[in-house]
Amino acid sequence: MTNWADTLARFSAVVRTGAEFDAGAIACPNYPAARGVEVYRNNYRGNLHDALVGAYPVIRQLVGEEFFRLLAKRFIEGHPSRSGNLHRYGGELADFLGRFENTRHIPYLPDMARLEWAYHRAYFAPDVPPFDLARLADIAPEAYAGLRWRLHPGCTLLVSGFPVAAIWRAHQDDEDFRIDLDRGGEHLLVHRKDLRPDIADIAPAELHWLAQLQQDMAMGAATEATLAAHPDFDVAAALRRWLAQGVLVDFETAKGERS
Amino acid sequence: MTHPPAGPTLPDIAGIGLRAPHYSEVLEQRPALGWVEVHSENFFGGGASLHTLLQVAQHYPVSLHGVGMGLASPDPLDAGHLRELRRLCDAVGPASVSEHLCWNTVGGVAINDLLPFPYTRDALRHVAGRVQQVQDILGRRILIENLSYYIAFRESEMREEEFLAELVAHSGCGILFDVNNLFVNAVNLGVDAQAFIRGIPADAVGEYHLAGPSMMDGCLVDTHSAPVYDAAWALYEDALRHIGKRPTLIEWDVDIPALPVLQREACKAQQRMDAMDSCQASLSRGRERERLPSLPEGERVGERG
Repeated sequence: MTNWADTLARFSAVVRTGAEFDAGAIACPNYPAARGVEVYRNNYRGNLHDALVGAYPVIRQLVGEEFFRLLAKRFIEGHPSRSGNLHRYGGELADFLGRFENTRHIPYLPDMARLEWAYHRAYFAPDVPPFDLARLADIAPEAYAGLRWRLHPGCTLLVSGFPVAAIWRAHQDDEDFRIDLDRGGEHLLVHRKDLRPDIADIAPAELHWLAQLQQDMAMGAATEATLAAHPDFDVAAALRRWLAQGVLVDFETAKGERS
Repeated sequence: MTHPPAGPTLPDIAGIGLRAPHYSEVLEQRPALGWVEVHSENFFGGGASLHTLLQVAQHYPVSLHGVGMGLASPDPLDAGHLRELRRLCDAVGPASVSEHLCWNTVGGVAINDLLPFPYTRDALRHVAGRVQQVQDILGRRILIENLSYYIAFRESEMREEEFLAELVAHSGCGILFDVNNLFVNAVNLGVDAQAFIRGIPADAVGEYHLAGPSMMDGCLVDTHSAPVYDAAWALYEDALRHIGKRPTLIEWDVDIPALPVLQREACKAQQRMDAMDSCQASLSRGRERERLPSLPEGERVGERG
């Protein structure tokens, strides 16, 4: 690295980790150099905190603004930003909350973070043109099993042992909520619907099938695996539904041709 | 070295930074705004936000202003970021595309801010190459904005305006002259504002920015949270005289006021541009009259009349 790049690497540590700066390298005629450095340290924490506030509004309501500030501070200390685009920051919050002692008393918090991050991803996902059904007419029936489907990049499939979507919906109007945590878990599809993110309940069998497809399994194998776990699964209905909903957006044939 | 075509340009009038609180009002009421500028990264991806911007672009010229590229970062440019910017430009057809003279990423770790760096020859070669890379991918010239900064590196071998002038010469980019940033640097770091205004190549300046900072613990922080300071207006007037009239933006990002407040600030910039116009018109009339032999000596209008 050249000298100026070394200087930036040192300055990065100064801003992020509180490392001491070399006062001789910095010129600040009108206030102490520490004051200038402080502006950058404040901006660093403040911008990442605001990014988390933007992505996790329900988590913030659940724990309160004050506690969210502490939680965000701890998260930021262990999770540097990896992208110049601030909207990509904070995807590991669910895993962090799974290990965070201070929120153990809210057991559904990690799943809520997963749901909110999925919603955030659906918001910032690119637009994908709707699938042209005519393309399926060119596929021989015996080739269907080999198709590898692509899901819309804004799609996330979630299984939770808690009624997280019910809690999420209750927090959209900021009203007091009473939801029995023992009422059972949820199977959810978070995706883009009419330009906006949408959180939908989905049948366990269909979630199972879409999850296999999302992991690049061919449709035949995915259907067999789903039928083994859910004998009532109707693949034709599922295919129609998720094409119509814009969840399945493209396919590759067994030969690797992407049409 | 081939430089990219200048491409479309913004009109030489005042515009405003368009932020989320005003989207629906702007789309429903179509207030008088010369043009609007948005932060590019807020429209990466598609969905409702891009849809809104495409609607706005049907009624107003749009400028795309990036805050996350990190042109001066030692790390390679983020190819995904460039792809998204290209896709956004293709969708919107902006009248202008701009980025900052700053860095944000080193060793794979980003600081999501607009960070200063030492203005060295090595850094100049690095940044010029990357500006060209961005311009090649976008197929158009971009404007590079001077920075507000709170510390200066002693390692610098030249001043920011010299760096910008060299960058223009090496990459063919234009300059987005943020007058408020210069004002902030003059107050905080004693930067010579007059020398800056006279040191950047006037022909390359494609846009001005104006905003209001806030004084915090002895440091003037570029918060974009207040009306333009009188001292910054004075620098703007100086820039109009020395550089000329250019598209001028009012930026407001924190404690965003009602739209009419932004329009009033934009009007103040427009009035100053119009004053330049009437001044220029007087000069032209003066020159016309100079050709008339009957005009008395005393009525001639001087060069800076």
